[in-house]
Amino acid sequence: MNPAKEAINWLDRRLGVRELLHQNLGGYLLPPNINIWYTLGAVLMAMFGLQFLTGTLLLVFYVPDTEKAFASVTMIMNEIPYGWLIRYLHVVGSNLIIVFLLAHMLSVLFMGSYKRPRELTWVSGFILFNLALVFCLTGYLLPWSQLSFWATTVATDAAGAIPIVGDQLVAFMRGGPTVNEATLGRFFALHVMGLPLVFFALVGFHLFCVRRVGISRPPFGDAYRTTEMPLSFHHEEHPDGVPFHPNYTIKDGAMVFFALALLVGITFFAPWLFIPPDALEPADPFFTPPNIKPEWYFLWAYQALKIFPNELLGLASQGIAMGFLAVLPFFDRGLERRPSHRPLFVTLYLLGILLFVGLSLWGHYS
Amino acid sequence: MKKILLNNLFFFLMIFLLTSATASAAATSVCIECHGGLSGQLGEIPTAEWHTSVHAVHRVSCHDCHGGDPTDYVEAMSSDRGFIGVPDYAEVPAFCGRCHVGVEEDYRASLHGQVVEFGGPNCVSCHENHAVQVATIDLINDISCSRCHTYDKPALIKQEISDTEAMLSRLEASIASLYRVGFDTGRLQDELFSTRNNFRRLFHSVDIEKIRAETAGFDADLAETKATIDELEETLGQRKLVGGALVLLLILGGCIALLIRRTFENR
Repeated sequence: MNPAKEAINWLDRRLGVRELLHQNLGGYLLPPNINIWYTLGAVLMAMFGLQFLTGTLLLVFYVPDTEKAFASVTMIMNEIPYGWLIRYLHVVGSNLIIVFLLAHMLSVLFMGSYKRPRELTWVSGFILFNLALVFCLTGYLLPWSQLSFWATTVATDAAGAIPIVGDQLVAFMRGGPTVNEATLGRFFALHVMGLPLVFFALVGFHLFCVRRVGISRPPFGDAYRTTEMPLSFHHEEHPDGVPFHPNYTIKDGAMVFFALALLVGITFFAPWLFIPPDALEPADPFFTPPNIKPEWYFLWAYQALKIFPNELLGLASQGIAMGFLAVLPFFDRGLERRPSHRPLFVTLYLLGILLFVGLSLWGHYS
Repeated sequence: MKKILLNNLFFFLMIFLLTSATASAAATSVCIECHGGLSGQLGEIPTAEWHTSVHAVHRVSCHDCHGGDPTDYVEAMSSDRGFIGVPDYAEVPAFCGRCHVGVEEDYRASLHGQVVEFGGPNCVSCHENHAVQVATIDLINDISCSRCHTYDKPALIKQEISDTEAMLSRLEASIASLYRVGFDTGRLQDELFSTRNNFRRLFHSVDIEKIRAETAGFDADLAETKATIDELEETLGQRKLVGGALVLLLILGGCIALLIRRTFENR
């Protein structure tokens, strides 16, 4: 008697799990020409899982108090067994997540997978990307270092540019006129409870959309055909496709291994890549470090704000750009997904990447 | 549909407000705000020099030396708020000695200190004033010392202290590297700071026999600090070894997964 088999039989008699597993694993067929970019979802799931695990472990020793936060992080790094590893995995992981999220979004844009009927998948993914940025911003403050304090001061200051309600909004975010104990409490609660709840719900919705609508066929090769938008709900089937399990899960697994290798490599050999020197000093509200700059993924916004003659104009233009990206599937309603047949889009896409990289480099070296 | 689009735009604008960052000018004291706008020796020159100094690095600002109130434009230079201004030439050692206590003591006992009333060298003769840099052994050099006397004796002193100074520099660099990767080097930094200060006050005595007699004690202290640093560096090396092995294992795992997938494709 095989206990595992018996357990599955027991569950199967009650919940029909065999059919469920078959529908979602072996019997779930993916496009035959599915490419490596489609594995980024699995990579991100693994990375977020690791963030959850390392974050939970950090919570055991971290103290969200302005007098004790920095010392508790120093203790985690130096006295708790493998504390340094857990914290660096969390810090480096958060940065790599942004890299993989950007890659995921760019691949979806390039292959036109955001187009109808996948508008909700795109919008939920875009909100997840923004939530990840808020995760980073709120997590940034928690060590209560010079960088934490001043980067948060600078970031929350930006809201003050909004006419009429700006000052109230800044005070609401900070819990006072300056970054203080109340700000740390708010950001901590948001980072460890508020955001994860919304995030997990939204990840669930995003995956539901992906599964319910079906995986989009990569718009490459001779076999690709543009399909009309059906009048009623239609799940995109791929009868000529490959099973999700084991054919694709093993590829997902391989990419997760490579992503983890990158994470571990940076964690052990170059953790300073994502930790500027100001992050090593405890917060001092009376001393602004020279050349304080945001994290690399906010550098483009930082530099863009400096280009515009006033802060409100800069913020508004960035908000409009991000908002436009969020609702792109509602504007871009053409059915064509092949990049070679969308020269205007591909040109704008490449210019957008160049603008992002250029502004980020300019911001870094300015 | 329009309402949904507007709601989306508003949401992302709000998210962006949270995540956008702007440049912020460093908050400066009223001393720098006023004097920075003036020209000459009372203005742009000392403020610009101070910005390049070791004092600026360690946040020792104008009022820490010159007194006064750095938060009040009107009372900034009031004697009621402790404003001192520029000290007389012979008072410079006492001016600097409020912080550099040990160095002042040895300097005053030295030949340099005994002739300061008669125009002998004071602190800024060698260290500059507002542009004061991290002190190194290079401050003892032919050009600087030959302004007042021959370079024979300074050369001997430099020779005596050079090994210890080189060790100090190496240990400082090692501690900085360990600190950069997250080690708590506070105790080590304090130890080295103390040893360095005591050693440097020693050669302000410009007494070659005294320097010879006491340098061995400093070398012993530095050897202890080095032993602790070596331990930490060994720990770091072991971590990297484990990290390297983990990276290789993960890459191997990825390659094996891809090979297994190829067998599915062949079927």
